[in-house]
Amino acid sequence: MSNLKGYMGKVLRIDLTEQNHRLFPWTDEDRKRTIGGKIMASDILFQHVRPGMKAFDEDNWLVVTTGPLTGSGCPNTSRFNISTISPLTNIVTSSNCGGDFGLSLKRAGYDALIITGKAKEPTTVEITADSVQFKSAKDIWGLKVTEAQEKLPKDTDKLVIGPAGENKVLYSCVFSGERTSGRGGVGAVFGDKNLKAVTVKGVKTVEVAKPEKLKKFNRKWVKTLMTHPLTGRQLPKMGTAGLVSAMQAHGILATKNFSAGRFDGFESVSGEELTAHHLVSNSACTTCVIRCGRAVKVDGKTVKGPELEVLGLLGPNILNDNIENILKWNYELDEFGMDTISAAGSIAFAMELNEKGLWDSGLEFGKTDNISEIIEKIAHREGVGDDLANGTKRMSEKFGGKEFAIHAKGMELAAYEPRRAVGQGLGYATANRGGCHLNAGYMVVLEGLGLDVDSLTPRGKASITIMFQNLMEAISACGSCMFTSYAVFPGFLVEKPNWLLTRAILAAFPYVGPAVNVLNKFTRLAQINIPLIPHSMALNHVCDFHATLGTLLTVGSHGYNMERMANIILGQKAGADKLPKRLTDVQQDPNDPRTKVPLERLKKDYYKARGWVDGIPKYKTLKRFGVKMDKDYYESVVREARTDG
Amino acid sequence: MAKVTVKLFGVLRVDTGLAASEVSADKLGDIFGFVNEEITTIYEERLKDDPSLERPDVISFSDAIVYINGKRCPRKRQKLSDGDEIWLMSPASGG
Repeated sequence: MSNLKGYMGKVLRIDLTEQNHRLFPWTDEDRKRTIGGKIMASDILFQHVRPGMKAFDEDNWLVVTTGPLTGSGCPNTSRFNISTISPLTNIVTSSNCGGDFGLSLKRAGYDALIITGKAKEPTTVEITADSVQFKSAKDIWGLKVTEAQEKLPKDTDKLVIGPAGENKVLYSCVFSGERTSGRGGVGAVFGDKNLKAVTVKGVKTVEVAKPEKLKKFNRKWVKTLMTHPLTGRQLPKMGTAGLVSAMQAHGILATKNFSAGRFDGFESVSGEELTAHHLVSNSACTTCVIRCGRAVKVDGKTVKGPELEVLGLLGPNILNDNIENILKWNYELDEFGMDTISAAGSIAFAMELNEKGLWDSGLEFGKTDNISEIIEKIAHREGVGDDLANGTKRMSEKFGGKEFAIHAKGMELAAYEPRRAVGQGLGYATANRGGCHLNAGYMVVLEGLGLDVDSLTPRGKASITIMFQNLMEAISACGSCMFTSYAVFPGFLVEKPNWLLTRAILAAFPYVGPAVNVLNKFTRLAQINIPLIPHSMALNHVCDFHATLGTLLTVGSHGYNMERMANIILGQKAGADKLPKRLTDVQQDPNDPRTKVPLERLKKDYYKARGWVDGIPKYKTLKRFGVKMDKDYYESVVREARTDG
Repeated sequence: MAKVTVKLFGVLRVDTGLAASEVSADKLGDIFGFVNEEITTIYEERLKDDPSLERPDVISFSDAIVYINGKRCPRKRQKLSDGDEIWLMSPASGG
């Protein structure tokens, strides 16, 4: 139990092998150290994983966590997280979702759910405040996501996989409503455990420490989000799709398997096109005031619309300029239960393999008439779909083309081509879960999209990347949507890009590195609360913490270092922070030597500032950020990480 | 004067209803008067269908991220040439 408000005080552990359940010990000290969400999950996995453990081992755990702000009434806080060993990357993945499952889990009295073991046959777990029941899922095994959800008890919130998860497609995902825990193949781990669905029902309320103060505070927070040019204007009006044109202008719109950053037909697959001709309405996660979700029509049915990633990766990146195709493929990928980013990245890679005569899968750049068929084959692992279901990295090991296999640590990159946003390139390479744009620190928001900081210089990028990675880690742990972090930039920097003051501040950004590094190292120095990052104040009102910006940075650093060590334990090697040669050795513009990611230079700065060597945290760095590990054990896993693998 | 094409993107296009315009101007700063005139005309047309439509904000050089022929241009006095393509963009973020 917990004495802290904002938490329900219990962590439920379910064993699928033995079909039983019990409480998992989690103390208030643990809560304060990790806040919740992905950092709590990392902590649990860090203590559980051992060298050699794999995603499809019976002993791999699925850890579903919420944050203390979830259900508290704070805006944009219905997020929950699923972490596990990823079958795609063989390291820890954390996959965040905006569906209602997390809210209902808390209402049932639990902050988190740990799923262990492996069921003998297809199973659904039904959770209420008083019971956990294991039921046969034979009647829904094989069903697509929506149909499976419809067959489950109506008054519950659900986690469900589709056929892709059942067939262990390495990038299959888990759905809560129409929202997805998308990245890293969490769905395949469900499938491997014969777990088709988890349902939860609860009516409890989340108590907060200072309800009156919180109400007043939330009113201000909502106002900030709704009046900020990014969260109050661009995202509601255009969704993330609004980025396509900005990326085109800046030369970072992944095109033809990341061989270019601009696509002549971009307007046909842009947010402007989506908004003008296909948008039925906005949609939103519960508690969201931004409403970036899109609803569109596919075959006369209103369904979830595409976001930036799928527009980019199934548009320019495969040389397709037909947006209606993308709406349809997006729907199909969702229904089969696949991560759109990794699926699209794998398809683009297969197209280039074919173009170079390395593997004829039938996929060709610009050819769109067989993609629906291929998506179905991937979901069922039929024919060429079996190789595509293993993702880009494994295909490159089998067929060749490693230099243009666009992944980091086995995870396909998002739609931002980093050769004109080199800080984003560093983020992709160093992100703990692999080629993820958000875990990367999302430097593109500075490097030309939201703000216009010099996107080609490596100067200062490492320190800002670290700060963003840590901060986003902590914001996510609160249960907040990452998009709330975009309001961190004062409105005038965004709205008045050509003001002298704006230009002066942005020109100075690359030079703030040393100062930022002091904060990155001595995180507790930031003993302040600032209105633009309200999450720490929210924690104070909800949980009665004494949190500051420094608390967020400290907990974020703790999480980032701990995740990294969990990965090292699982076998990640020194030097694993890599990008494919296309992005580091080949200039995007043959006439401009700065248009490639100077990764070695960036990593040198990054590791020095992080207190890491070759991507491995020093023991004293772990101690600094409160990551407890036996010294002998540390040395043995680090020794192993330094061996060739 | 140079004959140039001005294209609006992002929220600027959604709010104003203007996708592209042909303009004659010497310098970058000069295009905004013409663009705003066209936006007003479009607004008055749209108002007939939707009387509740709010008048879009006037676009000024300081509000827009400007690209000329694919290159970022932060100079209001930038001289224009025949055939230049000018993009006016709103800032964007997402995930």
